[in-house]
Amino acid sequence: MLSKDILKEFEAIVGKDRIRTSKEDLLSYAYDAYVEEYIPEAVLFPKSAPEVSQIMKVASKNRIFVTPRGAGSGLAACGLAKQGGVVLCFTMMNRILEISKPNRYAIVEPGVVVSEFQQEVEKIGLFYPPDPGSAAVATMGGTVAMNAGGMRGIKYGVTRDYLLGLEAVLPSGEIIQTGSLTTKDVTGYDLTRLLCGSEGTLAVVTRITVRLLPKPKAKRTLQAIYNSIDQAGNTVAKIVEEGIIPATLELMDKTIIKALEDYAHLGLPLDAEAVLVLEVDGDPEAVEKQAGLVADFCRGQGARDVHLSQSEKESEQLWMARRAAFGAVARMRPTCMIEDATVPVSFLAQAIKEVLAIAQRNQVQIAVLAHAGDGNLHPLILCDLRDKEEMKRVEKAMDEIVDLAMSMGGVLSGEHGIGIAKAKYLSRQLSPQALALMRTIKKTLDPQGILNPGSFLECAQ
Amino acid sequence: MIAQNLKEEVYNCIKCGICLTPCPVYKQRLMEVASPRGKVQLIRNIIEGKLDLSANFMDILFTCLLCETCTVNCPSGLQVDNLMKGMRAEVIEKFGLPGKKKFLFELLTGQRLLPFYLFWGRILRNSLLPLLPGKGRVGTIPYQRLPRLSRQTFLEKVPEVISVPQRRGRVLYFTGCATNYLDEGIGEATIETLVRLGIEVVIPRKQMCCGLPVFLAGAKKMALNNIQRNIALFNRQDVEAVIVECATCGSALKKEYPHLLREMGENTEGAEALREKVVDVSQYLLRLDFKELLRPLPGRVTYHDPCHLARSQGVKDEPRDLLKQIPALEFAEMAGADVCCGGGGSFQWEHPDIAEGITAKKIESIEKTEANFVATGCPGCRLQIFGNLKKDGIKVMHPIQLIARSLKNLPPPSF
Repeated sequence: MLSKDILKEFEAIVGKDRIRTSKEDLLSYAYDAYVEEYIPEAVLFPKSAPEVSQIMKVASKNRIFVTPRGAGSGLAACGLAKQGGVVLCFTMMNRILEISKPNRYAIVEPGVVVSEFQQEVEKIGLFYPPDPGSAAVATMGGTVAMNAGGMRGIKYGVTRDYLLGLEAVLPSGEIIQTGSLTTKDVTGYDLTRLLCGSEGTLAVVTRITVRLLPKPKAKRTLQAIYNSIDQAGNTVAKIVEEGIIPATLELMDKTIIKALEDYAHLGLPLDAEAVLVLEVDGDPEAVEKQAGLVADFCRGQGARDVHLSQSEKESEQLWMARRAAFGAVARMRPTCMIEDATVPVSFLAQAIKEVLAIAQRNQVQIAVLAHAGDGNLHPLILCDLRDKEEMKRVEKAMDEIVDLAMSMGGVLSGEHGIGIAKAKYLSRQLSPQALALMRTIKKTLDPQGILNPGSFLECAQ
Repeated sequence: MIAQNLKEEVYNCIKCGICLTPCPVYKQRLMEVASPRGKVQLIRNIIEGKLDLSANFMDILFTCLLCETCTVNCPSGLQVDNLMKGMRAEVIEKFGLPGKKKFLFELLTGQRLLPFYLFWGRILRNSLLPLLPGKGRVGTIPYQRLPRLSRQTFLEKVPEVISVPQRRGRVLYFTGCATNYLDEGIGEATIETLVRLGIEVVIPRKQMCCGLPVFLAGAKKMALNNIQRNIALFNRQDVEAVIVECATCGSALKKEYPHLLREMGENTEGAEALREKVVDVSQYLLRLDFKELLRPLPGRVTYHDPCHLARSQGVKDEPRDLLKQIPALEFAEMAGADVCCGGGGSFQWEHPDIAEGITAKKIESIEKTEANFVATGCPGCRLQIFGNLKKDGIKVMHPIQLIARSLKNLPPPSF
C-alpha cells in the first residue's frame, strides 16, 4: 500500500492535476486490450525526464513498484500494475521535439501517437514505416517498449530497425542516453536495442530518436480473392520466394472479411474463402509495373479475381478497416483472444491449415488473420470470457498453437509481446542459459525489481 | 436500472482503444476516464457491482460532448452514446438534476412558466446583457456574444399555414427552440425559401421543445410529455415531409424518439412513422431542382458539420452540395470539418477548460480557410463558433440563410 507521505512526495513532483488516486481513475488504468485486469494504487502523468527521474528515486528509496504505460492498446498486460504500485502514464508527455529533413531523423517524447507522428513527417515528404495495427492509438513509447511490428514488416522491418537512440531513466533514477543521431554507430554495446522490446522492465524511455525514410512517391493497393485459403497461403510463400517485395502482404479469412464488411461496408467479397491485401510502393512507374506483376502472379496461383484500388480513398478505407479488424471481430463474440505465433514464411499455408484443425478439434471459433509476408499469424479466437468451460477449450487451443509454432521453428510472439499472456511458454523458446542471462541483465539494471514487476521473466517457468 | 441490451453492450467493448484519439474530450485531457473506452469500462464495473454510482462517476459521465464520434468509429459497433445516455438517466435518478439544469428543463417542458419567464427575460436579460462587464463569460462565450431573446416568439409571429398559389408540395415545419426564441431570421429564411419554391408550409403552433437537451441530461421522464405531444402534432398523413432545420431537433425526431420510447416501455408506433418523414431542410431542398433560381452571392463559405447532423443523422453531403450550387460563392472545405466544435449543449459552460481547447482548433480551421461565411445547421455550434471567433468579418449563419439570400438576390451582408 502506498502511504499518504509517499503520495505527497509524488504529488510534489508532478503537481495535483497529474496524480490520480480515485477509484474511478484506478479502475480505468486496470486494463489494456488484453483480458486480464490489475488495479494500480496511483496513476502519475509525468511530462519530463527529470520528473520521471525524481519519481524513480522516490520509488527505489521506498521500494515501490512502477509500471510504465502508453495508451493502453497492448495485448499482453505489459503496461498494467500486475503487482500493484504506480502506473506511469506517458500520454501527456507527447511533444514532437524535432524533425530533421536534412539528416532524416526525428526526436519525439514517448506519448506521441504513432499515426499522428507518421502524418507529421509525411507532411514534409518523410516516412516512418513501423505501422502496428493500433498505430492510431498506440504511443511511440509503447511501440519502443514492445518493439512493435505491423503491416509493413515484410519490406520495412519493425520498430527496432528505426531506432537511433533513446533517453531513458533507470530504476535508480539515473538518466541515460543511448545511441546517437547517425545511422552508423558501433560505440559500445547497443543499449538502444536492448531496451527496445524489453516490455518496460529495464528502464523508462523518456525520449526517442528515430530514423526516417523518404516518403515513397506512389503506392497501390490490391485485393486478391481466393476460393481456398490454402491457395492464398501458398501465394504468399511463392511471392516471397520469387523475390517480390510488397510493402504489405496481409491475409484474411472469410470470418474476418465478414467482420470488416459489417464494420466498414466496402463491398468486400463475402463469398470468398480468403483475401490477400497487398500494397506496393515506390516510384510511380515501378509501382504500376509491380502492381501488374503481382496481380498476374496471384491469378497464376489460383486467385479467382484481383481487384486494384481505383483511388487513394478506396485504399485508405481498406487499410483503415484492416486496422480495425481486432475490434471488428468483437461484433461476433464478446471476447477476442489474439494469437501472435510466427513461423518461417514457407510454412505459412500449412500453419494456417493446422490452426483451423486445432479450432475444429477443440470446438473453438478461430478467425485467421496474418501479416502473411512475415509468417506472422494472428489467429483471433472468438469466445466469451464469462463462459469458463469455453475458456478452458480456448486455452487448450492456444497451447496447441504454441506447439505448432515451435514445431515449425517459429516464435511465441511476433510482435504483441510476452507479458503475462505468454509467459508460461517462455522456456519453450528460450534455453535455460538464455533465460539466466536475461535475469542477470534485469538484476543489473533493476536490482530491487521495482520496474514493471510480474512481467515475463518472473512468470516464466 | 439500465436496460438489459445496454448491459450486454458493454461486453462487446474489446478495449482496443480505437475510440481514444478521435475523442475531442480525451484529446484535451489525455486521461483514460475522459475517453469513451474508460467510461464504458466504468459502466461495466458498475454493472458488475465493483463500483458505486458515485458523484465522481457522475462527473466523469457528464464530461462528454455526446458528439457520437466514438459510436461511428467503434469497430465493434458499440452504441456508446446510447450507453452514456442510458447511464445518465440512472445517475440523475439517484442524484437528481443540478439546480440550473432543473430550472431550464422545467421551462422547456412546462407550459405555464415559460411565457412568464420569456416576458421578464426579454425586458431584463436583453437590457442587462450590454451592461455586463466586457470580459465576463458564460463558459467560453463572452457575455456580449450571447444571443438576445426575440421580441415575440416565432410561433406567435407566423401564421399556422402559409399557402402558395401553385402548390408543388406540402410540409410541416418543426422550428425548434433556437428559431422560436432566439433567431427568427433562420425561420424566416426557411419559410421564404420553401414558399418561393412552391411548397406550402404548415407550422403547428402547439409544438414544444424537442426535449433532447432534457433527455440527454438524463431527465427522460421530464421529456416524455414533449415527445408525445410533438409526435401527435407531426405524425400526419397529409404532408410529404416534416422539415427540420436544427440538427439537434432533427436528431431527436429521427433517431432519439423511437429509441427513448422503446427504452421507457412506451408505444413507439407514432415515433417510427414520424421518423420516416423527418428530413433536414438541406435534404429536402436538394430534392427540388432550383439551381437556375439562385443568383450570385460573391464570397467564400466554409461548412462545419454539426455532430447531430453528420453523425446522428448521417447528413454530410447535402448541405455542402446545396451551398456549392450558389453562383459566385466559393466553397472552401476546412480541416476537420466534422470534428465537434466543443459546444456540446451545456458542456461548454460546465467544462470551459476542456471546451476551450477543442473550440480553439475549430476556430483555427475556420480562419485558415479565409472564408466570409461559416455555415452550419446547429444553433449550439453557431453560438460556440460565433462566441469564440477571433477575427472579425466572418459571419456565422445557417446554410438556409445563404440560400434564401441567393434566391432573393440580395447583396451579401455588411460586416
